[in-house]
Amino acid sequence: MKQRALAIGIALVALGAVIAGCGAETHKSGGSSGGTKQGAIRIAVVPKAVGFSFWEDAHKGATCAASKQKDVKVQWDGVSAETDVSGQVDLLQNFLTSGVDGLVYAATDAKTLFNVTKQAISKKTPVVNIDSGTNPQPKEVPVYATDNVQAATKVPDLIAKQLGPQGGTVAFIPFQAGTVTNDQRTQGFKQGLKKHPELKLVATQSSQSDVNTGLRVTQDILTAHPDLNAIFAANEPGVIGAAQAVKQAGKAGKITIVGWDAASDEVKGVSDGEITALVVQNPFRMGYDAVTAMVKRIRKGTEPASEDTGVTIVTKSNMNEPAVQALLRPSCQTPPTLGSG
Amino acid sequence: MTSPAKADGTAPGGGLAARLPAGVRERLTETVSQVAAGGALIVVFIYLSFASPEFLTSDNLFNVGAQTAVTAIIAMGMTLVIITAGIDLSVGAVAALAGVIGAKAMSELGIPVIPAIGLGVLTGAAAGVINGVLITWAGMAPFIATLGMMSVARGTLDISTNAVAVFGLPDDFQLLGQGEIGPVPIPVIVIAVVAVIGHIVLTRTKLGRYSYAIGSNPEAARLSGIPIRLYLTIVYTICGALAGLGGMIAASRVSSGQPNFGIGLELDVIAAAVIGGASLFGGQGTIVGTLIGAFLIALIRNGSVLLDINIFVQSVVIGVVIWLAVIWDRFRRRKLQAGAA
Repeated sequence: MKQRALAIGIALVALGAVIAGCGAETHKSGGSSGGTKQGAIRIAVVPKAVGFSFWEDAHKGATCAASKQKDVKVQWDGVSAETDVSGQVDLLQNFLTSGVDGLVYAATDAKTLFNVTKQAISKKTPVVNIDSGTNPQPKEVPVYATDNVQAATKVPDLIAKQLGPQGGTVAFIPFQAGTVTNDQRTQGFKQGLKKHPELKLVATQSSQSDVNTGLRVTQDILTAHPDLNAIFAANEPGVIGAAQAVKQAGKAGKITIVGWDAASDEVKGVSDGEITALVVQNPFRMGYDAVTAMVKRIRKGTEPASEDTGVTIVTKSNMNEPAVQALLRPSCQTPPTLGSG
Repeated sequence: MTSPAKADGTAPGGGLAARLPAGVRERLTETVSQVAAGGALIVVFIYLSFASPEFLTSDNLFNVGAQTAVTAIIAMGMTLVIITAGIDLSVGAVAALAGVIGAKAMSELGIPVIPAIGLGVLTGAAAGVINGVLITWAGMAPFIATLGMMSVARGTLDISTNAVAVFGLPDDFQLLGQGEIGPVPIPVIVIAVVAVIGHIVLTRTKLGRYSYAIGSNPEAARLSGIPIRLYLTIVYTICGALAGLGGMIAASRVSSGQPNFGIGLELDVIAAAVIGGASLFGGQGTIVGTLIGAFLIALIRNGSVLLDINIFVQSVVIGVVIWLAVIWDRFRRRKLQAGAA
């Protein structure tokens, strides 16, 4: 019995090897890689949109990872507005058609972009998501992103700490309903608020990821609520617009502003005392780890696992620490390590 | 008015309108549609005064004035273009390009504030010249020529900035968008200056008369010896220059050159002109009407935030207002024409 089982086992393994071998053959001739591929590889890295320092940091991370491997080329391209979902679909499909070896991207819309991931999988082109995944998320597609819900629950704690036990009124500036990151930060923020009955949410207005709109809605919120105590703006343009409005109203430093991301003007706002705290993600690490994992997947066939790239709360008191500086000004020489888990 | 219309002005019979000279009759139709938009403006104004206690404060009203400056100023240039039966879809992208180039001139080249603002305006004017030449000498439809310019300007913008915002502008530059003379914000003063000049140009100069003539009947304008190509090029240049000025004000308001600024701005600008009685078929439109249109849109946006109304609802309301304005305009014109027949 034992011998027979062994024989069947050996036969199965042999058969498997043959199938895998065939597979590898076909894929080599087809140019894409279902199995493993040696030699030069080309990876497309597509952010939600080009622009915003957040995505530039992810870009730096991706190129840095590629520079540390042999014969890896990163092709960076993106649409110009995060709202341009169909533009991103077209761009990704063009990359797929052009026969890239791997696709690293941040989904502008979770449901729509799932179709692109599906197409890539059927073409046997491996996919890794950064920052925003798809819905549903196929198990072979890992996500290198911030746990946005978890991170946003910390925001009301920060505001509460700042305002003290008497609490106060809070305005919320989300950026784009329907995107996963926006909705997760909203969810986390509202969850966190439940723990703080002393904080009262009085206004919710979207910045539409546009600085001028962020400025305008914050001005109007300040008009409607002259006694406002705190603002949470959930991404870079909203934070810059809100801080600008508060400054123009002569209330800089009097209104607690908690922001997200770390564009140079946001960081300057923290050092000038106009912004109380920033929830800073690690886009460099997203780009770096995603490309590294993609190369491993293509060359060695290792299935990569999803990863929370973590956040760091940056305030005036910790912003000059070397580790925080490495996060705020990431470069290939000093890659940021902070914010794990 | 030295228009040829005067000769056949006094048609016999009919209502009041028909007994008036044609020039006066045209003025009357325009005034009537302005009254429509003006009426809507007053209704919204009165409603908001009751609905929100903070609305009717000088701070808020000046705020609205400053918020609408960019749209209003560009819309006045657009009015001139629309009067000639043209359209300029590139204004949003050109405004962003001008803002970024002006910002870069200050932050990277150390050019002083005033020349840098001039450079931004010149950038817009240059784009306008190209639009004009493409339309008149290359014979392109305005829609196509300016659609191309929109893409070229966005592309140039992304190439020159790598799509990253330009920060580090001198403090003096903030005056343009954030400064005040007495209680009046400087952007509001800029609106007033542009409006007065624009009104004079439209009503008292050859450029204004020729623009109406070209828009009403290009063939007749050509036969009567108007140098159409030259005047159309001037019209698009003025529109471009005002887009450049608007872009500089937008940059000043947020103290940074934002590459993603102005996406969709052209639609707000066209809406302002159309609500104010400008006809896309040409020959109709006034500065006062356009200002009313711009302020109506701004009031709806301002009121929506004061009352904490969802952003999606705001878009629906603005769309409906555009419909109503055009329907009302049509209805009145038909009545006046029926009276004349």
